[in-house]
Formats: sequence, structure tokens, C-alpha cells
Amino acid sequence: MSPDAYLSLASILFAIGAAGVLLRRNAIIAFMSIELMLNAANLAFVTAARAWGNLDGQVVAFFVMVVAAAEVVVGLAIIMTIFRSRQSTSVDETSLLRW
Amino acid sequence: MTPISVVDIDYVALAPVIIVLVAAVIGVLLEAFLPEAARRSGQLLLTGSAVALAFLTVLIVAASRPFGPIAGGSLMLDGPGLFLQGLILLTSGTAILIMADRRVDPGGDAFAGRVSTLPGGEEEREVSRRGLMQTEVWPLMLFCIGGLLLFVTSNDLLTLFIALEILSLPLYLLVGMARRRRLLSQEAALKYFLMGALASAILLFGSALAYAYAGTIEFAGIAERISERTTANTLVIAAVALILVGLLFKIGAVPFGQWVPDVYQGAPTPVTGFMAAAVKVAAVGALLRVLYVPFGGMRWEWEPVLWIVASLTMLIGSLVALAQSDIKRMLAYSSIANAGFILIGVAAADQVGLSSVLFYLLAYSVATLAAFGIVTMVRVPTGEATSLEQWAGIGRRSPLLATAFSLILLSFAGIPLTAGFIAKFGVFTAAITAGALPLVIVGIVASAIAAALYVRIIVRMYFTDPVSASAGVASPSPLTVAGVGLGVALTVILGVFPQPVLNLVEQTSIFVR
Amino acid sequence: MTTTLLLLVLLAPALGAAVLLLGGRRTNAWGPLAAIGVMGAATAGALALFGAMLTRPAAERPVGVLLYEWLAVGDLRVPFGLYLDQLSMSFVLLITIVGTLIHVYSLGYMAHDPDRRLFFGYLNLFVAAMLLLVLADNYLLLYVGWEGVGLASYLLIGFYRRRASAATAAKKAFLINRVGDFGLSVAIMVMFTMIGAVTFSAVDAGIVAMPGWVPLVLGLLLLLAAAGKSAQFPLQAWLFDAMEGPTPVSALIHAATMVTAGVYLIVRSAAIYDLSETARTAVIVVGGISILFGAIVGSARDDIKKALAGSTMSQIGYMVLAAGLGPIGYVFAIFHLLTHGFFKANLFLGAGSVMHGMNDEVNMRRYGGLAWVMRLTFITFLIGYLAIIGVPPFAGFYSKDSIIEAALAHSWTAGIVAWLGAGLTAMYMTRMVMMTFLTKRRWQPDAHPHESPPVMIIPMALLALGSAVLGYLLVMNDAFEHWLEPVTGFVHEDPPLAMPIVYGITFGVVGLGVLIGVLANLHPAAEAPTRVNPLVRAARADLYGDAINEGLFMRPGQVLTAATVITDRRIVDGAVMAVADLSTGAGDQLRRVENGFVRSYSLALVAGAVIVLAALLLLRIA
Repeated sequence: MSPDAYLSLASILFAIGAAGVLLRRNAIIAFMSIELMLNAANLAFVTAARAWGNLDGQVVAFFVMVVAAAEVVVGLAIIMTIFRSRQSTSVDETSLLRW
Repeated sequence: MTPISVVDIDYVALAPVIIVLVAAVIGVLLEAFLPEAARRSGQLLLTGSAVALAFLTVLIVAASRPFGPIAGGSLMLDGPGLFLQGLILLTSGTAILIMADRRVDPGGDAFAGRVSTLPGGEEEREVSRRGLMQTEVWPLMLFCIGGLLLFVTSNDLLTLFIALEILSLPLYLLVGMARRRRLLSQEAALKYFLMGALASAILLFGSALAYAYAGTIEFAGIAERISERTTANTLVIAAVALILVGLLFKIGAVPFGQWVPDVYQGAPTPVTGFMAAAVKVAAVGALLRVLYVPFGGMRWEWEPVLWIVASLTMLIGSLVALAQSDIKRMLAYSSIANAGFILIGVAAADQVGLSSVLFYLLAYSVATLAAFGIVTMVRVPTGEATSLEQWAGIGRRSPLLATAFSLILLSFAGIPLTAGFIAKFGVFTAAITAGALPLVIVGIVASAIAAALYVRIIVRMYFTDPVSASAGVASPSPLTVAGVGLGVALTVILGVFPQPVLNLVEQTSIFVR
Repeated sequence: MTTTLLLLVLLAPALGAAVLLLGGRRTNAWGPLAAIGVMGAATAGALALFGAMLTRPAAERPVGVLLYEWLAVGDLRVPFGLYLDQLSMSFVLLITIVGTLIHVYSLGYMAHDPDRRLFFGYLNLFVAAMLLLVLADNYLLLYVGWEGVGLASYLLIGFYRRRASAATAAKKAFLINRVGDFGLSVAIMVMFTMIGAVTFSAVDAGIVAMPGWVPLVLGLLLLLAAAGKSAQFPLQAWLFDAMEGPTPVSALIHAATMVTAGVYLIVRSAAIYDLSETARTAVIVVGGISILFGAIVGSARDDIKKALAGSTMSQIGYMVLAAGLGPIGYVFAIFHLLTHGFFKANLFLGAGSVMHGMNDEVNMRRYGGLAWVMRLTFITFLIGYLAIIGVPPFAGFYSKDSIIEAALAHSWTAGIVAWLGAGLTAMYMTRMVMMTFLTKRRWQPDAHPHESPPVMIIPMALLALGSAVLGYLLVMNDAFEHWLEPVTGFVHEDPPLAMPIVYGITFGVVGLGVLIGVLANLHPAAEAPTRVNPLVRAARADLYGDAINEGLFMRPGQVLTAATVITDRRIVDGAVMAVADLSTGAGDQLRRVENGFVRSYSLALVAGAVIVLAALLLLRIA
């Protein structure tokens, strides 16, 4: 089977993730959409690894999972502090800094 | 059992990175085990000596080690990489000096005593009454510096991504830790985090496509595969586009750098200086390597993109900077404009271009750090005086500070006998040699606009009478004086005697593939 | 030896500036004297260099000194080198001698200013930069001096920080000068691209082999630069506003030295202009327009300093015109530049002396009858007056007359413009002398004019001496032509008319100008005449003088002035300010994009990525 289908699926997932970031106001959901984009990349990596018959892509996928976990730690910490001082996680309300 | 082959690792060549990262881990341990009273001095000692030692090691490595791939091919030891590592350590060290200052702010250093407290709450007052100071920033800094060092030497897509994350994650946190105006600081952190995560996802997806195209994540392998092609493949074009965008985000190029003004304004000023200097240096370094090494064969594809992005960045950065009334925001736009000038040199895509970019980065980063260092000193009772109006008449009350700031602004404006002039001249010349005359004309126009901006501030400092809410100048500790003094001194020295450094960048400006 | 002296000349003022500007209040007491001391040292060095140069035969006079290699980018090597030939020597002498005298004068003029330490520091800075400008051996180093004098000039224009107008004037000078600097920087880039070098000698040698458009483009770009720095049409507007600065500054920077840097640039680039007839013509046109434009503005302003500024523009117009004539004119351009440096500085210092005695009043309609109160000022001013209108044997006669002859030899148009300029000069200068020193007193009630102290009078007297004799000294045995010929080349061409006729016409127009100037200003009004029906005005016999004024000069003058003012305010100023406003406005609009919403930033990022992607893919298909 051609890997194109998998790559297309990965691209679609990536686009859905990007759309989620653009459309959702809730910081946590926006962040989850970014995780979806990372996973789309993972899918592309393992597909390519399979297609080329080497392990590089699979190794990358593991690293990306670890990075994603680390990102969650930092991200949730930041969102938490914002929530504590503003009682809201809407990204549209944090717009004091502009112009 | 059959014996396994072990990757031969040159630990000396890796030493700068190892020193910094090990020190970061030790720093985390110090947080846990050192008594509170000794933490700050312990952390400062550790951080300072780690950076200094790493800098010395870079010099030793540069003098003694043969260029080539190290750490099993994940990293590349070559001239530009070493130069940038040295520059990152130099600017980080300067930033650390400014960060460590606790005399300009009567409340302590630039960071919130305890980040978890509510802004304006009872607990926060209690913390500031007890004069608590946060020391976690120092291990975070070290992790970030370690990431920067890896970023400019990474030799495959995985290392590039991991290094990007190692440098970004601590930075997101550092941005949110300001002692004053904490709501703004937290907002900046959130924005930076969301945008940064999005950009790294884009970069990662681009990497995945590049891997799918080439079957390898190593830069040399990708370059080889690209050179074999007969027609361009959609996969690799998409990969270049996405990786380019991911890196241009970090540099702050228009239209990918909209986060820059907000984040620079909200972050604690020493951190802003660090971001504008060291992080930008590393981002440009990584961009250079990615464009020249794996995707050097696709120069005709990415060059037009860089032309347009560079023009937009220079013009919009300079124009919007004119309309700013906040000094940090103004400097943020000025750093965007400078990113545009740097991209002119990147677009030249040859050795002359590379060396001109390296020189520009040096000139720009030391000046920028000094500028933000000066911003920390100009204060009103509630914090830094960031409104430009409050800078009126500073020249009268504090001639030395105003002279230093004027020198830096003149350098940004590209006035001769400052480093900025030589730097601009270098990138313009490189671009002309590479046939990019239109880009240079745009650059000259943009620098004319930007010059008006900088002169406006000089006029404000010298020729305007102070208003009632005008700022005073805090007497800084020797740390800040050293940091700012270094920046100002280099700005002048590089303008008058640039030749040794020009020779250096010319010798170092060859990427090993 | 030469190297040491050159470094002394260059570094002494730089050192003075550094000490005064960085030394802080500690230097308040002795700072100004130190500033004069370093100027004295620089002058002594310059004289020693001059003496040494005179002892050498003409071919060995130029000396180059390579201090170190300044920067090397790619194949381009730029030395930090100095070059002293007869041309730069002339400038060095002018700058140091006039500079020293004006420093001394400032001691009296600025005596009561609390910031005079800064003032002297800026003045020293200016002198150092100006010397670098004329001593550089390549265009890039010249550019360093070029920006340096600009910087010092802005600092000094804005010196009276209490006046909002001063800050505005400084900003305007800066903005307009950027246009000129743009020309110079692009010119340097073109030199680098096409010739691969920026030293004068290499460019002079390399330009010959270039295709025809290179000298043309370079010539036009350098002309743009010169017009910006020398306040030539159409970049003159800043010079009038620059009069906001202290008067010694107007004398040194905006009359004698900095504004002539454009002429220096053109003459220095003679090799480029020699190859392009079109570029030379453009230079002549700019110079010619500036002669008339400056003279008209000079005749219509009541502000004594702005009238003098108009005169400066007009006189520099002569120099630019002469420089545009090519080898028949270069020598005279510099000749006039030197004499002008003396007599215009003299006139400005005289104006400053008058202002000093009149509570800083600048409106000539509030002067009158000062000749009897400020006798020494009057005498020195009178000598400057005779020099500028070209009465023999005063300096201006020789230099201006040479330009008129050369212009006639070039074309009738150039000659007639030069004659016309001479007539107008006589007219507005006479008006200035009449309104200020003669005619009846129209002082404000609180004015108590008094003669200035000797520290101001002595420099004025020395400059007046220069205005009186310099022309004759230089023209004796064609000394100046022989002096400068090895550098710029010199060809003598006879004008199409016999010499007595040329002299006759010149004296005729100058005499007519003086006559009109006297008759029209016998009874100046204390207030500027408002526009009334000229018939009514003519009928009022007691306003006889003003009627002549009105009818013969003011009326057409007003139209021309209105036109110039419109060009000045609307077009030039307008253009500069419009660019400034447009930039700020554009910035203001663009910053709205930065709306603070992280989702909108993400959209820009994602959309940017999509556009880059789409563009690359389209590029591939195409």
C-alpha cells in the first residue's frame, strides 16, 4: 500500500489541529489541538519509517511523545497561574498587551 | 553474545553543552538541598561559573578539535557553530549579570518572589515583605542556554527539534515571572507558550515531511537526496516551507513574529534582553545551518521567500516602531527590524553573507542587551519607566546613562563609527555581491525610517524638559554596570576597529556538511 | 612628522569633545577654555602642515597616511586612511582658523548660558568630524565625517532646549538630511558594486573604464547628497529652521564650513563629473536655481539670521554652479568657498553681536540706527557687506567675478543667472545694512543696545580682515589657480565678451542692486507691511519708501517669496513632513494588526505558512 494515504491522513489531522488552535477560545483546548498536531507529525514519522525501512522515524516519534509530555507540564502550569489570577482560561481575555 | 558497536563520542568537543546542562541539574538539586539563605548566592556562583567555564571550553575546542560531526553525527562541530556558541555564552553571561542585579529595584531582583502567589493578593505582599527571592530562574536559565548551544550545532532534524524545545520550555516560564506588572507577564507567557508550541508543531511536521522525502533525518543525507533530484517534489517543498516558517517564528520575522512585541513587553526586562540577544542569535544560527546545509540545494526555492519576508520585516518593524510609546515595545519592534536586516545577509546565501550575518549578530546582540539593561535602570516608584514620555530630560540628570543609550541607538541606526554601521554595511555588501540590490534599497529606506525613530528618542532624552512624572535613574550594582558597559564598549570598539572580528567571522564562516 | 601633525589636527578637537562631553560638571569652569586650547593646537598643526606643504614641489604635495585597515568585507578593503592634498589643506585651514575664531567669540556670546560646557563640547565634536570629512581618503570614511557633522549640527540646532521650535528644527534638519545621506550611501554601494573600491584614487582610476551610466548615476546621487548637506534646491528648507541654533553655530556650521561639504564632495568627485555632461548640467541647474531662490528668500525675510541663511544658500549656489562647470570652475568654486567662509562668518558674527546687544531680537524691523551705538560691529559688518556684494578689492569681488566669467564662458544662461544673483545679493545685503545700522531707530521699549565685549569683537575684526584681503592675496599671481590645479585640473576659457564689458555689467547690476536697496529701505516700517491696495499705498506720500519697496521689490518679491515659501513649506517641507507623517501614520495603522489576541497571531502564523507553501508550490508548477 502506498504511504501517501497515511501521509494524507497525517496532513488532515495536522490541519484539524491547526483549525482547533485558531477557533477554540479555551486555552486548554487550544493546547490539546497543538498536541494533535504533534501526533499528526508522529504519524507521518512512523509512516515514513515504515516506508523507508529504517528506525529513525520511530525513534523521533518516541522523543516527540516525551517532549509533548514536558510541554504539558509547562503549559498547564502557565494556564493555571493565569486561571488563578483571572478566573478564566479564555485566550481572548488575555489581551492587555497590544498595539 | 555479539559485541555491540558503540558510538564514539568526543567528550571534549561536547564539553560546553555538558558543562551547562550538568550545572543546570546541579542547580535543581541545590534548590532542594541548600538552605534558603544560601540559595541565591549558591545558584549565582554555579550559573556564573558554568557559563564562564563553558565559554573557555568553547575557546579550547575551537583551538584544538578538528571540525566534523560529533556525538554520532547528531551535532556538527564547525566554525559557525563554535562562533555562535561563543556568542551565545557571551550574551548569556552578560544577561545573567543584568538579571542578578538586585539594587535597581528596591523590592529585589526582576523576578516575582514566589510565582504561585496571586498578583495583588495578601500572600504576595507577605512574600515581598519578607523579601523572598526566587532562585529557580537560574537552573531554568542554564537549561535554556544548554538548548541554545545545541540548537546552533544540531546536525539532524531530531536534535534540532529537541534543542528547540529545551530552549523554549524554560523560556516560557521565565517570561511569566516578572516581579512588577505580573498580569502582563503571565499573559506574555501564555501567548508565547501557545504560539511557540504551535510553531514547533509546524516545524516538526515539516521535519516529518522532510524525513518522508529523504528517508533520513541527517542534514547531510537530506542534502544529498535533494542534490540527486531531477524535479522538485511536493513533499520536500512543503517540508522546506514548514521548517522555514517554524524557524522564522523564533527569529520574529513578519508575519510570523507577532508575538514579539507582546512578549518582549510583558517579560521581565533582563529576560527580554536575553531573548532579544541570545535566543535570536541561536535562532538565526539554526536558520542559517538549515538553509545552507540540508536545503542549500533548494536555494532558488527559498530565496524569494526570504526576500519578501526580509523586506516586510524591515519595513513593518521600522514603521510600527515609529508609532510606539512604550520603550520596551519600541525596542521589540526595533529587534524585529534588525531581524529583517539579518535576513538580508541570510538571503545572500554565500560565505560572505554568512560572515556578515555572524558579525551583525555580534554587533546587534551586545547592543540590544545593553539597551535592555539600561531600561532596567530608568525607574519610577512603581517599577520601570517604560513610557517614552517619562524618558524626557534623562540626558540632563544622568548624562552618562543617556550617552550610553544614545551610542546604542546610533548603532541601531547604523551611524558610522559604531558597530551597527559596519554590520549593516556588511550585510548590504554581501547582498549586493549576491545580486540582491532591490533588497538593499529597501534596507536603506528602512534604516532611514528607523534612524528617525532612534533620533526621536535621543531628542526626547536631551532636548525635552522633564515632565512631572519623569523617571529617575536607579543607581545600579556593579553587575549591571559591567553588563551594560561591555555592550557599549563593544559597540564602539567594533565600529572603530572591526577588522580583527571581521577576520574572525570570515575564517569561521564555512559550514561543514 | 606629517602623520603626527595630521593626527594632532584630527585628534585634538576629538579629545576636547570627549573630555567636555564625558567629563560632566567638573569641567564647567575650565571646559570652554580647554575647547579653545585644542582648537589652537589644531590650528597650529594645520599651519605647520601648510608650511611643510608649501616647501615641497607641486607634484609631491599630496600625502596619504594609512592609519590601519578599517574593514574588509569580501573583496572590498577600506582603509582608515587620511589624505592631505591642496584641496583638503584649504579646507583644513578654513575649518581650523575660522573655527578657532568662532570658539573665541562664543566665549563672550555664550557667557551666560549654564550649558556652555556642552556647547563647546558639541562645537569641538563638530570640528573633529568636519576635519575627518575633508581628510578622509575614501568615500566611506568621508561618510563617517558626513554623518558626524550632521549629528553635531542637530545637537547644536536643538541646543536651546527650552524652545519647542528648536527641537522641531533639529528633527527637520535630520529628516531632510537623511534624503541626502541616502544619496551618498547608495552612491557608495554603487561604487562598490561597479568599481569594487571606495578610495578616491581607486574610484578616480576605475570610473574611466565604466559604462556611461555609472558616472551619470553616481553624479546624480552625489549631487543629491550635496544638495542635502549644502541646503541646495530642493533640499534647502532645513537651513532656515537651523537658524534656531545659537548664532556662532550658524556662523561656523551653517555658513562657513558644514554646508560647504556638498561643494567639497562634488569637487572631490571631479573625475566622476568629468565623464558625465548630463550630471554636470544637473549640478549647474541646481546651483543656478539655488542662487536665485536663496537670494529671493533672503530679500523677503525680516529675520536677520534667516535673511543671512537665504544668502548662504545663494552663495553656495554659486559654488555649486562653478563646480558644475567642470575644470573651468572647480578652482573658483573652492576659491569662493574660502572667501565666503570668511565674510559670511563675519556677517553672522556681526548679526550675533547685534542680537547680543538687542535682547536676542532677530527682527530687522525692530533695529535701525545701530551704526552709532555699535560702531565696531558696524565697521566689521560693513567690510563683510562690501565683500559679499563684490566691491573690489574686498574678497568676494575676486571670487564671485571669476565665477561669473567662467559661467559666461560656459553659457549665456549660466552667466545671466550669475549676474542676476549678484544684483539681488547687492540689493538684499543693502537692505540688511540699511534696516539694521542706518535708518531711524525702531527699537522695542526695553532694548538697550550696547557694543559687545572685546572677546567677541576681536574675532569679528580678524574675520573682517580676512574678508578684506583674502581675495587679493589668493588672486595675486594666480596663486590659487596654481595651488589647486594639480588636484582639480584647471582650464581657462575666455568669456564671450571682452573683460571690461563683463566688469561693466557686473558693476552695473551690483550698483543697481545697491541703489534699489537704499531707496526702498529709507524708511522701513516697524511692522511688516500688510497687503493693502497698492494704489492706496502709492497715494500715501509719506510711505514713499515703502511704496518703492512695495512696487519695485516687495510686490514681485512677495509673489516670488510666496512661491518660494509655497515650495518651501508645501512642496519640500510638505514632502519631507508628509513622508514623516506617512511613516508615522502607516506605523499607527499597522500597529492595529497587533491586536493582542493570540488567536489572531496564530492565524497570521498559519496563514503565513500556507502562503509560503502555496507560493513555493505555484513557483514549482510555473
